[in-house]
Amino acid sequence: MLLLLVCVPFVGALLLPFLASRLRLPPAGVASLSAFLGLILVLTQATPVYDGEVLINRWDWMPAIGLSLAFRLDGLSLLFAQLILGIGILVVLYAHYYLSAEQAQSRFYVFLLLFMGAMLGLVLSENLLQMLLFWELTSLTSFLLIGFKRRDPAARQGARLALLLTGGGGLALFGAVVLMGQIVGSYELTAVFDSGQSIENHDLYPVILVLFLIGAGTKSAQFPFHFWLPHAMAAPTPVSAYLHSATMVKAGIFLLGRFFPVLAGSELWFYAVSGMGLATLLLGAYLALFQHDLKGLLAYSTISHLGLITLLFGLGTPLGEIAAIFHIINHAVFKASLFMAAGIIDHETGTRDMRRIHGLFKHMPYTGALAMVAAAAMAGVPLLNGFLSKEMFFGETLALRWLSEAEWHWLFPWAATLAGVFAVAYSLRFIHDVFFNGEPRELPKTPHEPPRWMIVPVEILVVLCVAVGTLPSITVRPLLEAAAGAVLQMPLPDFSLAIWHGFNQPFFMSLAAMGGGVALYAGRHWVFAVHDRLPVKLSGKRLTEGLIAYLFDFAHRLDHALDNRSLRRYSFLLLLTVLVLGALGLWGAPLAGSGARTPLDSGALLGGLLLGAGALATAVKHRSRLIAVLMLGLVGLITSLLFAHFSAPDLALTQVLVEIVTVILVLLAMYYLPEATPHESSLARRVRDGVLAAAAGIGIAVLSYAMLTLPPDSISSFYLAESKPAGGGTNVVNVILVDFRGFDTLGEITVLGIAAVGIMAMLRGLVLAVPERDWLGRPWSSDRHPLVLVTVSKLLLPIALLVSAFLFLRGHNEPGGGFIAGLVTGVGLILQYIAEGSEATRPRLPWDKLGIVGAGVIIAVLTGIGSWALGYPFLTSTYTYVTLPLIGKFELASALFFDLGVYLAVVGTVLMILAGLGGLTRRADSV
Amino acid sequence: MAFVTPDFVPAIPEIFVLGMACLALVVDVYITERYRLFTYQLAQSTLVASALMVIFLYPAEAVVTFNGTFVSDGMSTVLKVFILLVSYFVFFYSKQYLRDRNLFRGEYYVLGLFAVLGMMVMASAHSLLTIYLGLELLSLSLYALVALNRDSNEASEAAMKYFVLGALASGMLLYGMSMIYGATASLDLAEVYRVASGGQANDTLLVFGLVFVVVGLAFKFGAVPFHMWVPDVYEGASTSVTLFISTAPKLAAFAMAMRLLVDALPSLHGDWQQMLIILAVLSMAAGNVIAIAQTNLKRMLAYSTIAHVGFLLAGILTGTQSGYAAAMFYVIVYALMSMGGFGMIILMSQAGIEADRLDHFKGLNERSPWFAFIMLIFMFSMAGVPPFLGFWAKWSVLRELVAGGVVWLAAVAVVFSIIGAFYYLRVVRLMYFDKPEDATPITPGRDMRVMMSANGLAILGLGIYPGGLMAVCVSALGA
Repeated sequence: MLLLLVCVPFVGALLLPFLASRLRLPPAGVASLSAFLGLILVLTQATPVYDGEVLINRWDWMPAIGLSLAFRLDGLSLLFAQLILGIGILVVLYAHYYLSAEQAQSRFYVFLLLFMGAMLGLVLSENLLQMLLFWELTSLTSFLLIGFKRRDPAARQGARLALLLTGGGGLALFGAVVLMGQIVGSYELTAVFDSGQSIENHDLYPVILVLFLIGAGTKSAQFPFHFWLPHAMAAPTPVSAYLHSATMVKAGIFLLGRFFPVLAGSELWFYAVSGMGLATLLLGAYLALFQHDLKGLLAYSTISHLGLITLLFGLGTPLGEIAAIFHIINHAVFKASLFMAAGIIDHETGTRDMRRIHGLFKHMPYTGALAMVAAAAMAGVPLLNGFLSKEMFFGETLALRWLSEAEWHWLFPWAATLAGVFAVAYSLRFIHDVFFNGEPRELPKTPHEPPRWMIVPVEILVVLCVAVGTLPSITVRPLLEAAAGAVLQMPLPDFSLAIWHGFNQPFFMSLAAMGGGVALYAGRHWVFAVHDRLPVKLSGKRLTEGLIAYLFDFAHRLDHALDNRSLRRYSFLLLLTVLVLGALGLWGAPLAGSGARTPLDSGALLGGLLLGAGALATAVKHRSRLIAVLMLGLVGLITSLLFAHFSAPDLALTQVLVEIVTVILVLLAMYYLPEATPHESSLARRVRDGVLAAAAGIGIAVLSYAMLTLPPDSISSFYLAESKPAGGGTNVVNVILVDFRGFDTLGEITVLGIAAVGIMAMLRGLVLAVPERDWLGRPWSSDRHPLVLVTVSKLLLPIALLVSAFLFLRGHNEPGGGFIAGLVTGVGLILQYIAEGSEATRPRLPWDKLGIVGAGVIIAVLTGIGSWALGYPFLTSTYTYVTLPLIGKFELASALFFDLGVYLAVVGTVLMILAGLGGLTRRADSV
Repeated sequence: MAFVTPDFVPAIPEIFVLGMACLALVVDVYITERYRLFTYQLAQSTLVASALMVIFLYPAEAVVTFNGTFVSDGMSTVLKVFILLVSYFVFFYSKQYLRDRNLFRGEYYVLGLFAVLGMMVMASAHSLLTIYLGLELLSLSLYALVALNRDSNEASEAAMKYFVLGALASGMLLYGMSMIYGATASLDLAEVYRVASGGQANDTLLVFGLVFVVVGLAFKFGAVPFHMWVPDVYEGASTSVTLFISTAPKLAAFAMAMRLLVDALPSLHGDWQQMLIILAVLSMAAGNVIAIAQTNLKRMLAYSTIAHVGFLLAGILTGTQSGYAAAMFYVIVYALMSMGGFGMIILMSQAGIEADRLDHFKGLNERSPWFAFIMLIFMFSMAGVPPFLGFWAKWSVLRELVAGGVVWLAAVAVVFSIIGAFYYLRVVRLMYFDKPEDATPITPGRDMRVMMSANGLAILGLGIYPGGLMAVCVSALGA
């Protein structure tokens, strides 16, 4: 049932555009019908609630995280639901006459209904997260309503400010709710209420309370977040009448009441809430007097009254709560009617400036009379509803005296009276300035009474003001008791709602407020002059805007600092961070392990020094590319030698060959590039980068040292132990390649082949123009194929082939193997290309290079399949020993065939890549 | 030594994608320009079929195969399904865009399929080596994709930056992995876990390995201070590629983080939590603040991504099962939102116009109220406004942070979310409150209209009922 209730406005909003455009129903009619339907639904549920029952409807929603959709109807929700729907109907009726036809009517009512639904959902929520959802939805929809006049910059700004504050407050509230849920272990209100003192006694209670108050305070325009409300007055008046009297701004108050049982009672609650309320009460009342805009006055007065309610909640006394709830009702009623009256005045005169509107009583006596009654209720004149709750408020501030822990109790009655003085003064101003005080000045329209039905909502509300003011026990007492019971969660104390309590202190305070107010208003010219001369006018809006501007500025500066789109900057930052992280990790860690050190010998030392010098030279001379590449070659060579020196001949062989091939590759590529790199960076930057590079190098060195001196690990022990028995070879590296990881190697040579094909495909048809002269204008050497090189290369080729055969055959046991042999053969052949040129070499090497690669891969695959044929799984290897003449006993492993495949694939690939790149030149020459 | 034939079944989807990618590559060479659509259809049907296979092969419990290098479990299944789903949408959104720009070539889809394969491998990796393989397959495909528009200087520059920095980061990751291997003597994640948590590994070495691994991860995620490539690449690449990079790879990166940090090294939780906290705070701060300064929407969304990554890392660093589920939920939600956000840029871009500046979104409401509404959903969801899906993602991470005792980080996250809401809402403001600079109505094709709306309404619908997706994430990590 409650779900249905919440759904009614949403469904109304959904159907409204359709009903309005297709069936030509007036949008206001549809809207008020939905609200009316909702009200009926509420009233059908109300009877048990008046008796103190709590209705809870629950559906599973997100069972995975224990979330359910749950609604709760208790006294407090009932009160608010009636306010939302009841005033909603009146506002819709009013808006129908207020809004001109050309303003997109159905859009307005859709927003209004959405807002109504969000408010209903908020007050009826049992689940806290669901409550938050609706809370944010009210912020959003109120944003749409405030900014309804889209082209009006003031409306946009006001809407934005409201959304900024209330939305941000919602997030704070979110934090409070999550924390509460965490403490209680459930997000259900019932569970939270049952948790007793556990939240208040928790360490995080202050955090929760502060976040909670930020949420409630922003919504209810409490100091220091009050400043959005006056700016929200740019909204159409029906919106103000609805949002800023009965609903939106009361949401924060609702929250105070909702969480009163769990959060109130502590000293912190007293000081924080009543302090906030007091400041708001005084500030709002004071500022309201100085507004010239009719709605501005009402806005500040709203702030002040909200402060009053907050203050009452802050006191934490049961009677205070009753007074607070009473004032919620009263304020909603008289403020809504006042907003509507202000709207009528605006509508009929074309302005809201109180410096121009005077003497309207002559032109619109009926509206004037109603507005005066409502304003009197706002001022707290006896026999009207405002008087009763104000009297209770005065009484409560006086009662503080008996609370021993409140040190500043004497302040409250005085402050309350002072606020009362200002309230009377601004109410008087509303009445006197607008309806009397001379003739209107330069009004855009001639004022007259509004259409009959536009004033009906005001009538109803004013009648309510009087009815509550004169017959409180009959009109509001049941509702008040139900709501107060829900807030307090305990039996209510005895309280009296009589309109006359005798000549007691609260009455004298009221009298003082009346007298003071009249006096203040009488002397207003003097007061205004003083106010205008006040030097400091702190504007929350300007402060917020300044903050935002600062944020934007900061964002721009950060953007420039971090994101200058330079790769150099990026890599610098990247390396720097890694260095810092590494250094942090290294901090305190042992820099050297306990492993045995290899003694330093002269060879290693020399090698190390050369290595360093080579690396340094590469970096320093990187602009002269040829030198840099040669230096890089030196580094590679020394590395290989160091491998050899430290008993890794296999690695050394591979390394030296790979170095050679890479250097050739780089040289080939360099042929097409300028000889030198231009200077592009300043010295300072180079020094900076150099320092970073050095630091990174040292870091890696330290890390390597630390790692290498750790006690040796057992990674390699398996292979060392299994190499001979399982793979039949003593060269572990080779056995790993062709046996243990044979499948990987098969994959690798396949990839090698694919890469070769890819390169060939990319180079096909590519012609690069080679400059005739270098960048200094010198022609290239005419002797392309030096005789010495040609001769030597011819001599070297057979030796290279022999060596590669030797390396290949011994590979399984001694340093060597198919990969290395392939590289040796490849390098030997490449030398022929370099020495004699492609044209001369090509006819002598007629084989299809792609074919070589393919043959290699196929041989390797066949070896694998061979073991299948013999009944073993793929690539199972075996070995035997054969004795060949001259060579002697010789081990023949099936892996040898596999290695042959590797050999062929490597040779083919090296030839294809290097000859292909070299071939580009040839074509370029012939162009 | 005997060679054991592995169980191929859990990897059938990957094998299928590989086969189809190769097929598409070959087919694309032989078909003429007129039939180019065929490659697209081939790619799309591959994704669909593969997703069905993944779902069909959903394992009751984790299955490890290929000598402990590949695993199929709940997490991998769910992530793969979403990777494939998101990629399907990405390919779909890109179709017309690429056509208009004369980029509708097979390369996009072939490279895309290879990237998808890489991501799937990452999701199912059970060995350091497999992770690296998947990652490199993905990264290399992405580098090439960024450079797809060869005539664009920005694209080439972005690709170059991406490649150089990416190579650097890959190197670091590899370096870290080798140290972990050195400390634990195994590449198998289960074995790494056993050795590391058994206290048998050398701690210094392990922590060092961890530092470099986290650096590599942070780079792939685009977390501050390893984020520099993100804005440049997002802006420089053609939007169809940006769309791809910003969505599915994040899912894969999440998988990588989970495999490396949670599956293998939970014993170092204290260490990596510290690092992730730093990364998360910096990412949320820099991402949200710098995004405000952007005028280019793609760049703005790039910073938004960075901020989201901060949130995502916050979920992981809790170190609890439910925290991981929250992070997984977050990353899936993020992928769906980002897909929509960049999809809208594509939708707005017509031939010759690249609608990637904020100004292009001015007054969208007057040009197309429906798509303004869809974009509003995306922006609100990214900002974390309830009841959109993004809110639940943020909420679940925050809840886990609080439950995990890192309340201050939750507070920081909330503060930066508020700051972040600025620039998302600015887009909404531009769409609804400003006058359009160019009032031509937006008229996308009907299929685009349907898919885009589905994307947007999914964010809204799932936001209203997020329980299902959440339950999937929770159960995926439980299996």
